[in-house]
Amino acid sequence: MNPATLLVGGVALVLLGGVASLVFARAPRLGDRIHSALMLPGLLACAGAGGAVLLGASPIALSVQPHVPGGPWAILVDPLAGWFLIVLGIAGAAATSYGTTYLAHERAHRQVAWAHAVFALLLAAMAMVVAAHAAVLFLLAWEIMALSAYFLIMFDGDRPAVRRAGLIYLVLTHTGTLALIAMFLVWGRGTPDLTFDSLAAAAPAIPWRGGLVLLLALAGFGMKAGMVPMHFWLPGAHAAAPSHVSAVLSGIMLKMGIYGLLRVLNLLGFAPAWFGWTLFGIGLVSGVLGVLWALGQEDLKRVLAYSSVENIGIIVLAIGVGVVGMAYGHPVVAVLGFMGALLHTLNHALFKSLLFLGAGAVVRATGTREIDRLGGLARQMPLTALAFGIGSVAIVGLPPLNGFVSEWVVYGALLTAAESREVMRFVVFGAGGLALIGGLALACFSKLDGVLFLGHARARPGDGVTGVEPGPGMVVPALVLAACCAVIGLVPALVLAPARLVAASVAHTMNGASAVPAWAAAATGVSAVAAGVILVAGALILFRGYLRRAGELRVGATWACAGAQLTPRMQYSASSFAAPLLTAFGSLAAVQQIRGPRTFRTHPVDRVQDQVVLPTWRALEDWSRRLRALVGARIRWYLLAVISTLLILLYHLMRWKGGT
Amino acid sequence: MTPWPVVTLVMVLAVAPALPGIATRTRAFLTGRRGMPVLQLYRDLAKLLRKNVVYSETTTTVFRIGPIITLATAVVAATLLPLDGHAALLSFSGDLVAFAGLLGLGRFALVLAGLDTGSSFEGMGASREVTVSAFAEPVLFLCFTVLVLATGELSLAGMLGERLAAVWVLTLPSLALTAVALFMLALAETSRVPVDDPGTHLELTMIHEVIVLDHSGPELAMILFASALKLALFGALVVSLLMPRALLAPPLAALILLGGLVAMAVGVGIVEASMARLRMNRLPQFLVAAGALAVVGVILLLR
Repeated sequence: MNPATLLVGGVALVLLGGVASLVFARAPRLGDRIHSALMLPGLLACAGAGGAVLLGASPIALSVQPHVPGGPWAILVDPLAGWFLIVLGIAGAAATSYGTTYLAHERAHRQVAWAHAVFALLLAAMAMVVAAHAAVLFLLAWEIMALSAYFLIMFDGDRPAVRRAGLIYLVLTHTGTLALIAMFLVWGRGTPDLTFDSLAAAAPAIPWRGGLVLLLALAGFGMKAGMVPMHFWLPGAHAAAPSHVSAVLSGIMLKMGIYGLLRVLNLLGFAPAWFGWTLFGIGLVSGVLGVLWALGQEDLKRVLAYSSVENIGIIVLAIGVGVVGMAYGHPVVAVLGFMGALLHTLNHALFKSLLFLGAGAVVRATGTREIDRLGGLARQMPLTALAFGIGSVAIVGLPPLNGFVSEWVVYGALLTAAESREVMRFVVFGAGGLALIGGLALACFSKLDGVLFLGHARARPGDGVTGVEPGPGMVVPALVLAACCAVIGLVPALVLAPARLVAASVAHTMNGASAVPAWAAAATGVSAVAAGVILVAGALILFRGYLRRAGELRVGATWACAGAQLTPRMQYSASSFAAPLLTAFGSLAAVQQIRGPRTFRTHPVDRVQDQVVLPTWRALEDWSRRLRALVGARIRWYLLAVISTLLILLYHLMRWKGGT
Repeated sequence: MTPWPVVTLVMVLAVAPALPGIATRTRAFLTGRRGMPVLQLYRDLAKLLRKNVVYSETTTTVFRIGPIITLATAVVAATLLPLDGHAALLSFSGDLVAFAGLLGLGRFALVLAGLDTGSSFEGMGASREVTVSAFAEPVLFLCFTVLVLATGELSLAGMLGERLAAVWVLTLPSLALTAVALFMLALAETSRVPVDDPGTHLELTMIHEVIVLDHSGPELAMILFASALKLALFGALVVSLLMPRALLAPPLAALILLGGLVAMAVGVGIVEASMARLRMNRLPQFLVAAGALAVVGVILLLR
């Protein structure tokens, strides 16, 4: 089938799926079935369209001419857009099929049909963000995406915490959009229309404005991606939304910010070194602080949300290395950097969606998100525990799963940069930073896995906190995502070649791509390492079985070091597990440690939100409250204000006309 | 392809359990005691393999798979090192990331196995293990960075092979600093004094020993063997750094590796005899110091 038909048909099916959910609101079971039956093929068709372009089909180009300023609404799916369509299609399909089961028994007191419809709109809007090739269409899709995400975050809007998170998100996302509008206006001055082709053609003519465009792109897209210090809307919003929505927000919507950055670089065709260093620094800081903050959280979904800040940090760091490589004319570094960013985007979409789906199953079964009340769930929820465990190993970046593949490429970019003789080689210190992030992520996710699924339940008996394995509707999507993580980890060659193609298109270099095959060949080595671990482990299991035939298995109580019997209350809690690391990092970790006579708890604070943004906001509010004195004043003050404003405007208008 | 990578790998696997014995014996000698036989660990392993396993009723499959993953990752990591001084069994661009990742996977499996018992002691050990490893990971990568900068190679076999022999004299200051950092890292990664004390018998003060409290029989044997193997791997890294053997005949290179490993074990014993275990909250500083040495090594090469 023609890729263009696939794309248009796919988006149409997704939208129809949303409409179907509303039409059949009275017959919810049928409605859910039709909703999934339309959306799944739709999303897979979008992924298929992206895949076709990556595999060498000619780019999809469409155009319509609506009666709005800014020129035609062009649609173009080139390799870069294709890559993100694949991310959207796979993670979106898993979340969609999970969502119908997940929300099924909220029907009594929530607008579930509307939630499904808005969810479909969110996915369709993100497909349009990626496919749009004109500024006005892009911004339109961007706003639809941002607003539908807002309505989904507000699904549980009767809880004050959710309303607060929703409001912060709404303010922040519009601030970001404002920056993007400004970016397109600055860039588009003097171009015949606002299609991306015209903008790309105008790019070489804006040497100093290139800086302004890049800064505005960093503000707008960085806000959406959740880079530190613009991350603080993210944990609240992602924790507040229903879990399959969290999966899409963290797995896909954050990546729209990454897509935007890469698209701007792709259109500009050049990038100054300072921008690369800025991204590199922001990425490093986001990575370290994100994982440190994740380690200190006590709420399951907030751990995952802060870990998204960390992973966005790794992606941004990789983009930074790519830009630095471009700026210093080192195509191999540029391609490897962008490749690492693209691969980590895909991988993070897979394993973070997986983890959010697993977290949703836990929250649904136990009714709590508090890690320290959970424990021992692997017994009751073995498949969820398996999927979550695979997601954890993947997100820590360990072989033989997909997280390792992307981190391996990012390390490759950093170490290759080290070999050059330019200033560029200072990025090599990023390797130490990336390793620190990896070490902290290992602590964070071993804590999460161990405390949630292993040991004993921590809640008191009678608290009603017990796990139940959810039905196949919620288990299968998580297992499918886990399988994707495993396949990419075992056979990285599958994704390395397309990622190299996309990276070369961003870096505007084809010789870079041809110099990278050394790395593509190394994919066999990664597969060999994965196979080696599996082979040796299998041999050891056989060996153990051989030894065990002699005697039978004995089961006893956990060794309590010759003390009394251990009780579940004696187990290490999540707070105590993380305490040594959080203490070592001191004030950087931004965690209050609360020590009582028989309790130890940690309470996370978000420094940026609580100590910078909110005080600033309150100061602004106080300051503007003084203006309120004018409101109650006499009418002549109003008139004076209106007339003086008009006079000032008139004066400026005359000066501006006189100038030209 | 020569048989030497396989031969040296088998040799390292075979001598690894002797290294902790040599270290402990050195420590005993220096503190005026007799100490246990050098080959004690072999006897322990043989005994454990004949014994039965006892599982806690709290545990799941995670507990049973932990020791297997730990040993399997250590063995595969060994195949990435050019043990005969020339080539590794498995070598590709960026395999150093795989080396670190494999050790990380082994640690992840062991930590989860510890948490699986639901015991506060093992939770404590797991928490300390991840704390140490979070600080150890950057040090390892900084050490690898020195090697990349010195040799321009991106695989372990390349950076410890002929290129290293060629640039060895020029980059000796950096390499020496890195060797010291790697030695400190080896003490941390294999739970020796001053990071952990394998001779202690108080659970509250241990790190590695306390995660494995509940393991028994062949699975405990796997963990003990993996730990000894890790000491041998870090020893091989330090020896390859200080004595590039690429220009020597493989048998001679293997002999030098053997001598180097014994010297490394004696060094560990000397450290153990001459200082006490650090307080837990000092451990990050110890590893940051090692990291600082590696950073100085990097800066010397970036000049």
